[in-house]
Amino acid sequence: MNFLALTFILIALVSFVGGQLFLKHAMQPGQSGRTKRGFIGLLTAGISLMTVSFFLTLGLLQRFDLSYLYPFQGLSTIIISLLAALVLKEKLSLRLTVGALLISAGIVLVSIS
Amino acid sequence: MHHPPSGFLSPRFQLFVSVVCVFVSELLLKRGASQVADTESAFSWTGINGLESSLVWWAILLILASFLSWLHVLKYIPLSIAFPLSRVVDVLVPLGCWVFLGELISIRRWCGIALVIVGLAIVAKPVAQLEERL
Repeated sequence: MNFLALTFILIALVSFVGGQLFLKHAMQPGQSGRTKRGFIGLLTAGISLMTVSFFLTLGLLQRFDLSYLYPFQGLSTIIISLLAALVLKEKLSLRLTVGALLISAGIVLVSIS
Repeated sequence: MHHPPSGFLSPRFQLFVSVVCVFVSELLLKRGASQVADTESAFSWTGINGLESSLVWWAILLILASFLSWLHVLKYIPLSIAFPLSRVVDVLVPLGCWVFLGELISIRRWCGIALVIVGLAIVAKPVAQLEERL
């Protein structure tokens, strides 16, 4: 595991989560005061970020086992909970914290395997 | 909430379709990317050379199919139920790596994968609820 690979894995994950959030906002019905241009902007941002994530993953798959890379997708779950804590000022529940710790421990094991 | 259709368009069957499409597309992407792998060139970090493989294009079709069926599922099933169920794919993918791709998975990696799956199972529902609000 080198630093470069880890950086690419993280960029791929963050752009995936970001893309999801943009798409979700684009698709949310009945938002007042939103223009057609706003919708197209959100949609384009979402699709672009998903595309970045897709190609970075293809680059990573040329170098690493799928069974090695795949568990890292669990981190997207943690990124979502952190975002919710930041954006929505949600308190992280005990259940979320325990799950996030297990996922992180699993990722560490996989990354040194 | 509409009355859910039955048969091919039933939300449960479409959830199954979506999971299978994701599972197969992951394996195809790995196969395809390995076929055209050019780890010597820095350009291949962009992954764009992966498009030379036809398997990658099949995977893209499956990803689109899974996206459509997932949208169909979400019309009828709340995200906080559908999302945890869809995590079944996290069990299928490592098994597929082992069975179909012949990846040698060490005990340490299996343990890591198991921890991630248990962690995901614990957080799936609350995260889906968070995601609905984000």
